[in-house]
Amino acid sequence: MRRGVTATMVVAGILLMIIGYFGAAPWGADTVANSDPRITLAPTLFVLGVIVVFSAAIVYELLPDRERR
Amino acid sequence: MATTARGRPALPQGIGRVTPGWWAFFAATLIVLAFGIVAIIRELTAGMVATGMRDVGTAGGATWGLYISMVVYFIGVSFAGITVAALIRIFDIERLRPIARMAELLTIVSLILGAFAILVDLGQPLRGITNLFGFARPQSPFFGTFSLVIAGYLFASIVYLYLGGRRDAALMAKHPGRLQRFHRWWAAGYKDTEAERRRHYQTSFWLALGIIPLLIVAHSTLGFVFGLQVGRPGWYGTLQAPAFVALAGVSGVGHIIVLAAIIRRLLGAQRRITMEAFSWLGRFLMVLLAVYLYFMVVELLTLLYATPEVEKRLSDALLTGTYAPIYWGSVAALVLPMIALMWQALARRWNVGILVASGVLVNLAAIGKRYLVVVPSQTHGTLLPYEVGSYSPSWVEYGVVLGLFALGALLVGLFIKSFPVLPLEAEEEVSVDA
Repeated sequence: MRRGVTATMVVAGILLMIIGYFGAAPWGADTVANSDPRITLAPTLFVLGVIVVFSAAIVYELLPDRERR
Repeated sequence: MATTARGRPALPQGIGRVTPGWWAFFAATLIVLAFGIVAIIRELTAGMVATGMRDVGTAGGATWGLYISMVVYFIGVSFAGITVAALIRIFDIERLRPIARMAELLTIVSLILGAFAILVDLGQPLRGITNLFGFARPQSPFFGTFSLVIAGYLFASIVYLYLGGRRDAALMAKHPGRLQRFHRWWAAGYKDTEAERRRHYQTSFWLALGIIPLLIVAHSTLGFVFGLQVGRPGWYGTLQAPAFVALAGVSGVGHIIVLAAIIRRLLGAQRRITMEAFSWLGRFLMVLLAVYLYFMVVELLTLLYATPEVEKRLSDALLTGTYAPIYWGSVAALVLPMIALMWQALARRWNVGILVASGVLVNLAAIGKRYLVVVPSQTHGTLLPYEVGSYSPSWVEYGVVLGLFALGALLVGLFIKSFPVLPLEAEEEVSVDA
């Protein structure tokens, strides 16, 4: 359970970073219109991804043990 | 056992006890911080014209000045704190364990100061923040600095400090008092069981392993902010990123030495923070200094050899012109500590006073070098045929920077008075348990 949640968070965080990275404005945008992000708030998704990955460490340590629940 | 006025056993390391000296310290930092806030208000109401910054070329100034120099400096200082903490964990360096928490604290505080320094550099900070989350490009070194340094690095450091402090927080939470609720929150149900210890060991090891590459990337990215600008002589170059990392290490380790010496003196912790720890830090600083001095000489030789016109104008300004006092002052403040550290390493005799002086000098040099990276390329490095420009910070900029230093000192002081800055050892645990 603990490992599962932690691993899920790490994977989800990395996915968010990938989406944020490729959802932002494209490389070599030739017009101003093209320099807008392809996904709304793409940079926020990237930052959120970084935070989710490191939050996994807190979850791994703080999640109660099964026998204690 | 020491007790409080209410007859309760006193918390170790003077936590929760604010002596007149500490009140004076807090008052002094608050006064300087208030001056910094007045300066920020002046900047926000009058606009950026209240600073000494002007447009490059057309207005003969620099758009990046003291603030950006301090951003680079503060983020540089943060480098060594978490590096030392991570190295202690990965390589199990027992003699440095007492300084791990203060190193982590230094990283967090300097990153917060770095973030504030970025914000004050924006004429409209709020507009800057909202646009950053909506339109920034993760591919850009500017955004990389924000996302990796602030979001990733700061958050990772907070997680590292938080998880590492849970055991001490749990012990402190047993003690009734004003801080009990805070310590209980920090402990978050920690019981110090074998399973919890094992889990913490695993987490901190993997966090340490993840943080080291992250911080190398983060600091290199900050170097790329300058190093990738093709049209700016003095900035464009492959050495910017590694030189940034090396100088970041120099300033950060210098800071740790100074902070460790102050805390050692304040808490009478000569037995905890041993001379062995200082000698390790001194050697580490010496190696980093040697690497940085090598980069500096290589950079200088490249700048002077078969120099194109604009580069020559820049190197003249640095070596013999407007910026020469800062340049040679910084070089002296790097070379002197190098000689002092080598002498101590060869004699195998380390002196805390000399180490502290070295730490202070390398930090003054780091501020000088950061200023010289940021400013001269704008005033003397324009490729278009503009006149040579100039930049001098206004009182507003000095006030803000002083306010930032005061904020840093205040945060460190508040932490020392509310949480064990040195990990609790057996006898302190007993006094807390009593």
